[in-house]
Formats: sequence, structure tokens, C-alpha cells
Amino acid sequence: MIHRGLLRYQGARYLWWALGVIAASVAVYLSQDSATQPPNGGTWQGYVLGTLGALLVAWLGLLAIRKRSYRSTAGTVQGWTSAHVYLGSALLIVATLHCGVQFGWNIHTFAYALMCIVIFSGFFGLYSYVRHPQLIASNREGGARSELFAELFELDQQTRVLAQRCAAGVAIAVGSSIERTTIGGGVSSQLFGNDRSFFIRGDGATSAVARNTDQQPVIDFVAARLPRAEKGAEAANLQQLIVFLCRRQTVLRRIRRDIRLRAWLKIWLYFHIPMTAALVIALVLHIVVTFMYW
Amino acid sequence: MEVLLRELREGPDGIPEYHDTQISAAVVTIGSAADQRLQLLGKSIAAHHASIRQSGSQLELTCRAGKVRVNGELQGSAKLVIGDVIEIGSHQLQLVQPPVGFDAALELRPDKNIDASAFEGAFRTDLLQTWMGKRPTAWMAIGLILIVGLALPLAAVMMHRADRAVPAMMPGDALWSSGPLSAAHRQAIGDRCNVCHQTLFQRVTNESCGSCHQSIHDHVRPEHLALTQLDRTQRCATCHREHNEPETYLVNSGDGECLACHQNSNHTFGSLDVAPVEGFGGAGHPEFKARLLKPHAPDANASTMLQWLAERASIDAAVEQSNLKFSHAQHLDTDRVRRGGDGEQLDCADCHRLQSNGEHFEPITMEANCSSCHELTFDPSAPDRQLPHGKPRDVVLTLQDYFTRKIIDPDAARATWDQRRLPASADSLQPCNASAFACAMRSALAETENQFTRHGCIGCHTVVDTQSKVLADRFQVVPIRLARDYFPAARFDHRSHESQGKLTGGAACLSCHKAADSRESSDLLLPPVATCESCHSDRPLAERVTTSCVTCHAFHPQGSKPNQDAN
Repeated sequence: MIHRGLLRYQGARYLWWALGVIAASVAVYLSQDSATQPPNGGTWQGYVLGTLGALLVAWLGLLAIRKRSYRSTAGTVQGWTSAHVYLGSALLIVATLHCGVQFGWNIHTFAYALMCIVIFSGFFGLYSYVRHPQLIASNREGGARSELFAELFELDQQTRVLAQRCAAGVAIAVGSSIERTTIGGGVSSQLFGNDRSFFIRGDGATSAVARNTDQQPVIDFVAARLPRAEKGAEAANLQQLIVFLCRRQTVLRRIRRDIRLRAWLKIWLYFHIPMTAALVIALVLHIVVTFMYW
Repeated sequence: MEVLLRELREGPDGIPEYHDTQISAAVVTIGSAADQRLQLLGKSIAAHHASIRQSGSQLELTCRAGKVRVNGELQGSAKLVIGDVIEIGSHQLQLVQPPVGFDAALELRPDKNIDASAFEGAFRTDLLQTWMGKRPTAWMAIGLILIVGLALPLAAVMMHRADRAVPAMMPGDALWSSGPLSAAHRQAIGDRCNVCHQTLFQRVTNESCGSCHQSIHDHVRPEHLALTQLDRTQRCATCHREHNEPETYLVNSGDGECLACHQNSNHTFGSLDVAPVEGFGGAGHPEFKARLLKPHAPDANASTMLQWLAERASIDAAVEQSNLKFSHAQHLDTDRVRRGGDGEQLDCADCHRLQSNGEHFEPITMEANCSSCHELTFDPSAPDRQLPHGKPRDVVLTLQDYFTRKIIDPDAARATWDQRRLPASADSLQPCNASAFACAMRSALAETENQFTRHGCIGCHTVVDTQSKVLADRFQVVPIRLARDYFPAARFDHRSHESQGKLTGGAACLSCHKAADSRESSDLLLPPVATCESCHSDRPLAERVTTSCVTCHAFHPQGSKPNQDAN
């Protein structure tokens, strides 16, 4: 599995590369004579570290191309990703040493901040890739998401048919609860599993749209009808309906959890990728401006 | 409008049956989303696919996304008549004759084969389906960066150059600053980067600096530069690093830039006498060369009419030529000299008073430093009478006046005069039988000769006996000039050296200046470079204080700028 192999690829070979880059950078940094000049990007050591950092950014960005080049034989994508993670982490140190921990309200610090966003979103992505796939698999119990939806659809059909045989109020409530079940939705709904499901809660003449969060209100509604059931057949139908509704509730919970986990698995990319593009532009600007106002 | 929706569904027993629903709405919306009146599922069906509304006496179908087939033809919108069959995805919807009380009736035959994946498609279950996108965000961020980080600052550059005010809220080229300006530059320049950065992609020129700093000398004066093979001196910014944090680093005080030229000076300095230097603390620094004053008599017949010429000489071989007779050893010897008042040993600071700059000392003068001990009395019977200092002619006249008055003054005690100690002049002890004036002149002559040749002036000064017949002109004193600044181009802080480890006061002075052993005024009491190097080094070493070239050496020559001298 890719998330396991990422960090331990070939005995964490690129961890040692990254540590080597960091050690070399620290050595260059320490060679600055801070008694006469502060360590920053303007010393020759600063230029060396800056060049190293820029080359690292360029190479890290090349992962986007390498992972799309299926025919490429320049190392495995897994190896590239492993190196991407370790050398990307090293970049944080290289860039910090390059700037000598001097910050200000300027384009240079802005590029640094973008780099931090990219790297830390990458850290979050790494965490997600290590943690979430297992959670997703155990939630689905090995199946695909479409199987969960198939089960839901099957339950919907059965529930709908059974509801037709019940009293009008129950039929409307259950039917509407199926139609007005929401799954997923916008960004926050997917990330936090907001449930904006409704059902029509009615008693013959009057009816109202009511919240049906986690399907529990409709189950309670049907269950409340059970003691008042007149005929044995109606009671049996209602009981079976409750069983279906509860199974539906379970399936919906799994689907929502699946959506939530998948969203958290992917959300970091929506920061990592655009901010990388922004970082490359800001970095080019940083370099150009440095020589524009030499 | 009132619409009857008749849906063909599979009943509980597997037998198809119709479900009738009454819809009261102005518009019947069709799509895969949950909020649609008519929810149809399928991959080809959009969340909000189409809508049916009444248009006059007819129904009108309008697609919001994609197209539908009306009677087999793909259409984006259509006027519907009874019997029309609309295919949305794989579902069929037919307009049928409405029963009484309804404006329209729709018969829906849903595709039974729509699977669960189509159902899934009705929901937005992936971030890809949300407003979040990687590319739009990236393009927006890139656009924003280029506008705020490049376009607006460039506009500000143009406005500065056109001498137009830049709006305060506009992000100007200050965004390009790599660090804060030093306080003085910030005060003088503000955010007008173009004052120094005059041309884009060109390093700040010396001319930019010189437009304000007009009185600063270049390191090598033009007349010296002409003697070398150097074409020009360094950029100001080689050492003066702006935008540094903290701003105390405005001057690069490292030795590297100095040594780059001075380490191996023979190649570049031409006929200029510049000794190579490797550093400080090892054997890398040449011996100090002091600026000494050398007396020069242009007229051989007037040997006391001196000009003082400055010359530089290595201190290990140089001698002072101040013309003063003085022994430091004698003055520091408690068997011979003790301080008036407390009777203690003389302290250096008793004579050498440090000026407020901490580097140089107040000039040594007879009046300020010598006369408190060395009175210019000449007659023990008149201890309040002293000879004038510095004017030999006045000394003779004063003595003549004094003895004239003394001899003719009836109240003067003659006996005391006759018995006074007149060393080496035996005849002066003899009674004078001549006229009073002649006697007075004889005494004055005797005392003049005594002062200029035996005791008195001669003790400190070199006296030339011109053998002139006129006594007032006979003795000439060779002028004295003490050097006040042996190293005009260097800096030294005596105050920070007043304590040398546990030594303080005079002992601290004597630890560098070997005055206690100096018996002649020709001794140059300047410490050699080795003395400095016993405590200082150019690199951090144990028990060494780190110094750099510019700790002692001024990079910019002192004094007014040559090209301003003419003004």
C-alpha cells in the first residue's frame, strides 16, 4: 500500500538524503561570520542556500509531471513521492536558514509563508494518507462505496413499498424521508457530515416539514404509531418498517462517514496544489525582485 | 397550475401499478437533486435538468442543463402538445389528456434499470463536485500575486519617478524591500526606493550614496589613486549593507574586504608604500609606523628657526626629536621625584590628561604640567619672583631689571645677596665696587649665563649660545614640539584600556608604555604591535579580545574632502 511504503521506501533512503541536505545547509549557514554580518539571504552562503531551496522547489513541483507520465522510467512514482515528502520537509529548514529567520511584510516573506502553507498542507496530506485509508476500508468493510449505495437503494425500494401499505401519515412520512434524505453536499457538509435531511410529519389534515437528522426522528415517528396500531397486520408492517428504517440509518451513517473520510483524505490537495502554483510564481518574483532592487 | 403526475411503478407484488400525485406549482422542476419536484436518477441527468411551466394554453419545456429528446428529437426547449413524449436520460415522460380539474397530466415511465450508482450520482459525494477547485484557486492566487507583488509596485516605481504621490493604501515597491532601512535612511528617504535604486536590475551606485554623503572621502584619495594600478575603489555597498537586520550591521566590519586588497598589496598599489597585512594576532601585521615630527632648519645660520616636517617611521627604529630634555624614568623614581602634597610617586595622569575623546591627551605645556614643580625662581631671597617662560630675551631683560632694582633699592638686604649661592661663578661672590648699574649688569649677566648654561633653562632645553654682544640676543632656545597624534589615520581608545586585567591607573599605562625605563626624551614610548597582539586577535581565541581592521583603522580618510578644499 502506497501510504505504508511512502515513508519506508527502500529503507527510508530519502530520509537520509534529506538529512544530508539539512546537514549541508546547516554547515553552510554556520560558516557565516555573524560577528560582522547577520546571516541572511544576502551573504554568499545565503545565495547558496537560496539556490538550493529554489532547485528543491522546482524538483518537488516536478512530481506533478512525473506522476502523470505513466510511461516514464525515471524512478517509480512511489520513490518520487517518498523523496518528495522527505526533501519537501528538508526545504523548510533550507529556506529558514536561507532567510536567517528574518521576516517582514514583503514579497520575500510572502513566498516563505506560501512555502509553509504548501509544506504543512503536505504534512497533513501525509497524515491523511497514513491514517484515513484504513479507516475508510474498515468503515466500508472492504466493499466499494457503490455497494453501500446499492444497499441503500434496495432498502429505499423495500421501505417505500412497505410504507404504501401503511396509513397515509406513515406513508407520507416515510416516503418523504427517503426523498428528502441528503447525503454529502457542499464542502463543509462533506467535511463535517452535516445532515440536512427532512421528512413530512403529518397527521391527516395537518403536515409540516420536520428535521430528520440521522433518520432518528422518522424512526421515532413510526415507532410512536406502533402502540396505536389497530390490526395485527398493520403492527407487523410498522415493525418491519422500523427494521428497514434502522438498517437504512446504519447504511446512511456509513455512507456519510465514508464521504467525510474521503473529503478529509483529499481536502489538503485543494491547498497543496494551488498554493504550490502560487509559490512558484511568488518564488520567481522573489528572485526577480531581489535582482531588480539589487 | 395543477398537474397530475401518474407514475408507473412496480407494486409490492411485482405488478406494475400507477401512483397518482397532485402537484400544485407554477413550475414542475425535473432533475436528479432531492429538491426537484420530479426526481429522476441517472448519470446523464443533471441536478437541475429541466422545467415545465405553463405558457398560454400550452406547456413549455425548458432545459437548464443539456438537452432532452422530444418525440425523438434533441431539443433545448419545446412547446408541448398532448401526446408528446419527452425522454430525459432513459426515463420517459408523456403529456396526456388531463382529467377534469387539472391543467395538465404527465405520465412517467421511469427506467427500471437505473442502478445504485446512478442514485449515488444524485448526491454530491466528492469534493470535486463542490465549488472548490485546484485550478481556479491557483489562477486566482497567481493573478493576485502578480497584481499586488509586481504590477502595483511597478506602478509605484513609475509614480515615484514621475514625482507623483503614491496613494497611502497602494502596495508600493516597499513590498520588494528585503528588510528595514536603517533609521537615518528611513528618516531621509522614506519609501522612495528610487533614491538609491535608480535603475532596475542595476546595483546601487556610489553616485547614489554620494548625492547625500558629499563630505565623505573615498578610501583612496585621488592623488594616491593615481600612483596605483587601481582603477577605482570599492562600491560603498561592499561594506555598507542596507536592509540588514538588525540595522547595527549597516557597516560590514569584517576583515575580508580589507584583506582582499591589502593581503598582497605589491601588485596593485604601485609606488604607494602600503605594507601587506595578513591579519592581526599572528605575525600578519606589520610593525606600527608612527607619524613623527622632525625639526628642520632651512637656514643654517638660524638653527633655532625650525620647520617641523612630518615623517612616518617604523616605531622599532624611530626616535623622537622633540628637542626636549626629559627622563620619564627619573620622574617615576620615588627616590628622586615625589608628588607635591601627598609625596606619592608621580602618576602618569598627573601630567598626561586624557581628552574627552578618550584617544588623545591634553597638550603638555610648561605652565600646565611642569611649573608646579619646576618653578622658574632665580633668587632664593625672592622666592616669589620667577622668570618668564618661553621668551629668552625677556628672561635677560627681567634679570637686568631685577638686579638693577635690587642694587639701588635702599631697603634690599645686600648682605643676603652677597652671600647667595652662585655656583661655578666665583667672581660673582666678590664684592662689586663698580657703579650700581654696572654691578647690576654684572649680576644679571652672571645669572643669565647660569640659567642658560648651567642650571635653569638648560635643564630641559637645548640652548644655542650665539656669542652675540647684545646679551638679550645671545642665548637662543631651540624650540620644542611634542607630537600629539602619532597615528592620525588610526583610532585608539585609551579610556577602555585604563584597566589592564588587575592593573589600573599608571600601572595600566606602564604595561604598554615602557616609560619607567626611558631615560631620554628621544625614546619613543609607543608600544609595538606585539603588545596589542598579546591581548587582541582578529579571530575569536581564548584570552584574546577580537578586533577587526576597522576597530583601529579608519576606512574613510579624515578631514575635509579634497575637492571641497577649493571652496
